[in-house]
Amino acid sequence: MKVNKESRRLARELIRASFTDGQLDSGRVATLVKSLTDKKPRNYLNALGEYQRLLRLEVEKRTATIESASELSPDVARTTVDSLKSKYGPDLTTKFVVNPELLGGMRIRVGSDVWDSSVRNRLQRLQQQL
Amino acid sequence: MSTILEDIETQIAGLRTSTTKSNVGVVRDTGDGVARIEGLSDVMLNEMIEFSAGVYGLALNLEETEVGAILLGDMTAVKEGDEARTTGKLLQVPVGKALLGRVVNALGQPLDGKGPIKSEAAYPVEKIAPGVIKRKAVNQPVQTGIMAIDAMIPIGRGQRELIIGDRATGKSAVALDTIISQARLNRAAEEGRLKDHRPLYCIYVAIGQKNSNVARAVSVLEANGAMPYTTIVSAPASETATNQYLAPFAGAAMGEWFMDNGMDALIIYDDLSKHAVAYRQVSLVLKRPSGREAYPGDVFYLHSRLLERSARVTEEAGGGSVTALPIIETQAGDVSAYIPTNVISITDGQIYLETDLFYQGVRPAISVGLSVSRVGSAAQIKAIKQVAGKIKLDLAQFRELAAFAQFGSDLDAATKARLDRGQRIVELFKQTQFNPIPVEEQVAVLWAMQNGYLDSVPVEKVKQFQVKLQDYLRTRRESILNSIVSKKTIDKELETELAAALDEFKSTSPV
Repeated sequence: MKVNKESRRLARELIRASFTDGQLDSGRVATLVKSLTDKKPRNYLNALGEYQRLLRLEVEKRTATIESASELSPDVARTTVDSLKSKYGPDLTTKFVVNPELLGGMRIRVGSDVWDSSVRNRLQRLQQQL
Repeated sequence: MSTILEDIETQIAGLRTSTTKSNVGVVRDTGDGVARIEGLSDVMLNEMIEFSAGVYGLALNLEETEVGAILLGDMTAVKEGDEARTTGKLLQVPVGKALLGRVVNALGQPLDGKGPIKSEAAYPVEKIAPGVIKRKAVNQPVQTGIMAIDAMIPIGRGQRELIIGDRATGKSAVALDTIISQARLNRAAEEGRLKDHRPLYCIYVAIGQKNSNVARAVSVLEANGAMPYTTIVSAPASETATNQYLAPFAGAAMGEWFMDNGMDALIIYDDLSKHAVAYRQVSLVLKRPSGREAYPGDVFYLHSRLLERSARVTEEAGGGSVTALPIIETQAGDVSAYIPTNVISITDGQIYLETDLFYQGVRPAISVGLSVSRVGSAAQIKAIKQVAGKIKLDLAQFRELAAFAQFGSDLDAATKARLDRGQRIVELFKQTQFNPIPVEEQVAVLWAMQNGYLDSVPVEKVKQFQVKLQDYLRTRRESILNSIVSKKTIDKELETELAAALDEFKSTSPV
């Protein structure tokens, strides 16, 4: 989808208005979207699409996806979440995913940062080194 | 076998406890050799990016939420949704003497089927040019072996001299002649025939050319024994615009290795107009704003940062030099177009080749009036300065009077003498392709001309006279040529010897 300049600018203004005290405010997001769909300004669908993309990136920045080969024990899960929150702040949301393709270990992704200690990653590195 | 097992075990042990941190993004769209990636928050400008398909890219556009990267290698392997990760490395190419005699692509990979390149070092493709402190004045000559250039538009080591002209005016031929001349001098020095000669290694960067042209250049260089001192970086028209854009920078990196290690290098960028076109394509698909003739705003910086990398550096900084001979193709002789004016203003002079002269039979078709060299005269040896000093003036006067040449008999003696002299100089400067003339022979021939030994020779026989004179000096008066090389100046003693030799030659020669 081609997003024109005005829609992009509008989406950027919307995302700037979606924060209170540096944190994403879901209430404000809902009001903004509602007012936009009510007023229906020109190209509002494009702007909404772009706004959604920017919101997704913002949410991803504050979400830790913890992948593991098998279900984590509650203890391990808690310590992982605690250490992540101490690094990224208390507003971090966490999501647990079981991915057998990892073979073993864990892969944590927050925004575009990835910590990888999975067996798959180690095997790939070994393959590259050899 | 056991050592391999141990090796693998230690590597596994090293990997056992490690957690790797990386910065990743997701490919949002790809096409035309460019990928747009969402994420990659920590990516640096010009950093290499590794795609999950094993392909590498180069981050050129860092935007608010996206990164625009050019793809190096198989661009069809990268798909939407693929993961891309930063590598923390800049793009590097292999450098060193192992590249001499090879034909490589823009990434330094061999194309000539002569096996892998065993290079000891790698240099980043983009590098900041040496600063003021590291630089030294240009005072050593690059002997091109083309008499018109060596006498009137001299090139020094570390200089940037533009070769500009329309299509098919012999621009590449001038460059190839220069390479062949260097190879002969290098070989002579290796065999001990030439003392105090610093070898000059050549790098020929072919950008956007036909593959057949590159193949022809390779065969010409091989036939003339110049390949052992030459590297060819080839990014032909069938290569991606990305590789055409990178090729001159890769060539510059290969040249810089020689400079840093106290050696001299000569780089020919053939040609920079096609390079600008390739860069325009890359910029447009990266959605950078376009300016005049749709070139991006930084097309001047593109060439200035490339050509600024040629320099002569002090002993502390390595003591070597990189000389650049960029080539620009003009359209219908228009030097005031965008890219030609840019490159003219960056370089230290230009050799202008004219279509008219070419078809008049003046080959190389160098237009003496429009060609200049801003630093090269400091690099000329004294002997050639002594004989060539007046030639530019003589030729300028000849051109002014040339219109009157048709009134042959009605002219006064002084005008007639000037016209005769001019016609003979023009004849002397005609030269066949791939036949560089050593500087000592140039000096002897020009000395003969300056001292009126050619005045009695009919214009159409000047070339014949010159060839015979060179032959005579080479075979019978080698001592004179040797003393020109060793003395580097024409003193009284040499003058009498030359006069005696020429008198003898004229009395015996039938011309």
